[in-house]
Order: sequence, then C-alpha cells, then structure tokens
Amino acid sequence: MVGLSIGEQHFVKGGIAQDLRTDGRKRLTYRPIYVETGVIPQANGSARVKIGGTDVIASVKAEIGRPSSLQPDKGKVAVFIDCSPTAEPTFGGRGGEELSSELALALQRCLLGGKSGAGAGINLSSLLIKEGKVCWDLYIDGLVISSDGNLLDALGAAIKAALTNTAIPKVNVSAEVADDEQPEIDISDEEYLQFDTSSVPVIVTLTKVGTHYIVDATAEEESQMSSAVSISVNRVGHICGLTKRGGSGLDPSVILDMISVAKHVTETLMSKLDSEISAAEACEDES
Amino acid sequence: MFNGEFLLPRSPPRLLLFFRLSNPLRTQILIFIKSLSAQNKMSAKPGAATPTYSPKVVGRSRLPIFKDSDLDWSRPDGRGFPQCRPALLQTGAVSSASGSAYAEFGNTKVIVSVFGPRESKKAMTYSDVGRLNCNVSYTTFASPTLGQGTDHKEFSSMLHKALEGVIMMETFPKTTVDVFALVLESGGSDLSVVISCASLALADAGIMMYDLITAVSVSCIGKNLMIDPVTEEEGCEDGSFMMTCMPSRYEVTQLTVTGEWTTPNINEAMQLCLDACSKLGEIMRDCLKQAASASDE
Repeated sequence: MVGLSIGEQHFVKGGIAQDLRTDGRKRLTYRPIYVETGVIPQANGSARVKIGGTDVIASVKAEIGRPSSLQPDKGKVAVFIDCSPTAEPTFGGRGGEELSSELALALQRCLLGGKSGAGAGINLSSLLIKEGKVCWDLYIDGLVISSDGNLLDALGAAIKAALTNTAIPKVNVSAEVADDEQPEIDISDEEYLQFDTSSVPVIVTLTKVGTHYIVDATAEEESQMSSAVSISVNRVGHICGLTKRGGSGLDPSVILDMISVAKHVTETLMSKLDSEISAAEACEDES
Repeated sequence: MFNGEFLLPRSPPRLLLFFRLSNPLRTQILIFIKSLSAQNKMSAKPGAATPTYSPKVVGRSRLPIFKDSDLDWSRPDGRGFPQCRPALLQTGAVSSASGSAYAEFGNTKVIVSVFGPRESKKAMTYSDVGRLNCNVSYTTFASPTLGQGTDHKEFSSMLHKALEGVIMMETFPKTTVDVFALVLESGGSDLSVVISCASLALADAGIMMYDLITAVSVSCIGKNLMIDPVTEEEGCEDGSFMMTCMPSRYEVTQLTVTGEWTTPNINEAMQLCLDACSKLGEIMRDCLKQAASASDE
C-alpha cells in the first residue's frame, strides 16, 4: 500500500466530512458485494466473497473428534485465517501473522458467543454425536486473496455464506458400547444435514476518520483512521460481539452512537447478504 | 521520580495501616471499593484494620448451568453485583526492573515489570517513535487445574493494543520499552488486572503517558450484570464486556464484548465500567503518590 501524500490525505478526510467518499459512495454505503458458494468441492462448505477490491475465501471442514473434557456436551469450532502474500507483499512469511490472529480472534468471538453459549452463531450442541465421546470438529478457514480494506466484514460474510453452504454427513451411532470405549459410528455418504445459519451474525466495521464514521473503508481510508469499531449484530438486533481497534481513545457516547449506526446498517446488509447467498446457492444448484 | 533501586529484601505483602510508613521503600494500599453504582460516591476506607478479603473456599461440586433467567445468581464471594473486589496495589515489587507493580484483586495476583527505554536489538530500521513490546504469561500453578486456562496467547496482543494508545511513543525514539506481565494466580478478570497493573508499572518506570489506564470487566449472567467476575462466574457467563479507559480524559481506549447483548445492557455495562474505572484510577494515583512521598522521606 503506497503511502498517501498530504494532499491525498486531506482529500480523503474532506470527502468523508462531506459525505462524498473518493469512490462516490456515501458514508454508510457498502461496495457491491459478490458471493459465490461451493468454490471448494473438497470442503464441506465454502464460499468466496468479493467486496470491491477485497477478495476472501472461507471454507468449512467437519471432522470427527472428541469433545473436550470441560464441555462434553458440545462440539468444537476453530477459526483460522491466513493472509496470503498475494494480497500484500508484507504478508509473506511471518508478516501477516499478527493480522491473521487478530482477525481470527475477532471472528471466533463473534461466532461463538459467551462461555455458556448464549448469542452463539453456531449452536455447538448441534455438533454433538455422543456426549463425552464423539462430536464434530468444525474447522473454519479463511483465506485473504486480495486486500482493499474491510477484511473483517468480508470474512464474516464469507463464513456466513460458507456455513449456509455446509452439509454435514449424517452419523449413526451403530453399536452401543461400554462407557469407556469409543462407540462405532457410521458416517452416511448419502444423507446430509444442512447447517442452520439463521443465527449467524454479520459483522459491520465502523471506521472513524476525523469526526465521522464510515462503513466499509477501503485501504486508503483505513490508513487515515483514528480508530475502528467492529460490531457484530445478529438477526434479532442483539450485539454478538464488539471489538475496538486503533489506539486513540473514543468518547463513550461515540461508541454508543456507533452501536446504533451499526444496528441500522446491519438491517440492509443482512438482507443484502441473504439474497446474495441464496442467489449463489441457486446458481450452484443449477450448474 | 522513583526508580527501581530497592535493596531491602522483599517480604510477602502484608496488610499495613499505611499513612505513616516506617519502611520508606514499599507502599501498600488497602482500600475497599463499595457499591459502585452510578449514584454513589466512593467511600474509601484507607488503613482499615479488617483484612481485604477472606478467600472463601468454594465448593468443589460443579455449578449447575443456570438456564432459568429468573434464578438469582449469588456471587461466590458474597459481593453485590456492582461491587468490585478490594484492590491491593504495590509498586516497586521487582528491584531490577525500571518499574514494576504488583496487584491483587481478590484471588487474581499479577506482577508486571517494565524494562526500558532500552536499545532495540531487533529493529534495524530507524523509527521516529519508540517501540512497545508486551508479553503476558501464566505460571504453571496459576489455575487450579494444571495447564488448563493458560492458553491465552491473545492477551499479549490485547495488552499491546491497550497500552499503545496511551504511551507517548515519541518521547523515546529508536528505543524499546518492554512490558512483561506474569499472572501468578488466575482468579477471574485476568486481563483487566494485567492492564491496570501494567499502567501502574509504566508510571513507576517513569514512561510518559497521556493518562493512567484502568480496565474493568463486566459479566452478564441471565439478566444480571456483575462487575469484576471471578473464575466461576466467567465460566458460565452469557456475555463478557471488558473496557479499558483513561479515567481523567473520559475516553475508552479498548472495548471487547462477547456474547449476546441488548443495547440497554450495553449502556448499563458501560456506565458501570466507566464509574469503576474512574475510582480505580484514583486508587492507582493514591498508590503512586504514596510511593513518591515515601521515597522522598
């Protein structure tokens, strides 16, 4: 990302102050979102999302595993993000590690909810096969191919689309065994269960530039930000996760205002995403 | 400014009536924080003869999962919902460091030491601003079960994010400040205690900052919001809200929310946290003033 000159910085900030960004959008308008599902046939579910110049792929793989001893009645979900060097040369080697772990943490927070499971986008109890013995382990991987700002929103949308596309095979516990033995399981090849994604939240990142907030910042707008707040809102309008990034302090009233703006933006974004995902699924079914 | 040249051997922290300390090198503050609702004023009881806390032995049986939100949650240590744990703060805990602090919030015990500004060995490129390097680690005996609950690798980067906005990096160009935090015992709200203790250690080291930062976390169980949760409460919470703020400037530097929250809940949690943060900030300032006046004697 080439640095911006002083003139360009003023241009970006001034435009945002006047509700006219460099690409002509208003402050609370998203770039066109393009969703494609089933891009990775080997995975249980996958999706590719393009928001303007940002291009990410999310894939979901389910494997049989053992539930952890602390929570024997729940399955496990692990989120990994990889920022590929094709997006930015600085991501090569260990450069993108910090960003990847930060994104993975934010996504895990939004998807898994509180410790008791409240507000979780994925119902972990539905991943259980046999309590204490067998469960599904979901590995959600995100790959950033091209980065033009707003990675978290794109990854959140891609994961939502990938989960909608996910089909987990039906499992029959074939034999009843003694408590200390692993039960035999029969993984069906024919029957699949679709994942219920009605409670998966969307993530909206509000970037504060000057005294105004914008939604869906491009990379050059992000370079001028003072701070950013990523808010994840679910269908019912409850906040499922909030992360503040950026060093500068924010007045508490500003944060509360951002939350209400995020809720307002989520309504349009959620319906847009839902229509895009169902269109993509329909496309995939036809082909 | 006080620096870390203390020669007396370090004895375990004791509860002292502190106003006139015979020991000029150590300061111990013992203050109860009571009833931190938005309306109450702080009633600090400095030098109270009562002990800060009597660690209650929590029963070994597993807590039932409270799905019924009408069921009232009673806190294991008998506090009210808006009541924080009593705080014990002490600077100068590590004599070889530039600055250090030790904090005990109930059962959570954290020690932070700050080294620097010192030469950046890793950085080859010149930089106008200083660098900050943070590390949070747990001892193996920090949690009741060996090895579990110690996989908080993200705490180091979260501490870094909390501190980078408040330290004036341009005052130590080309050099690095290292902040090392060690959690001796994990009793709940670990990261909040680490952040507050780290800012106290930075002040003890003389690193220039815009303000002290304090961090408080709030847990939501059913309909109840409780501040400064302990490990049992964190284990079955419906949502957690951790806020780091600069009390004097009334600004929030870091905010992390997990779980499901309605907007009124978030409002209430934010008010609770802001109030608690400002009171904790005053306590930290008192601690530093005591250390400064004690070293002047």
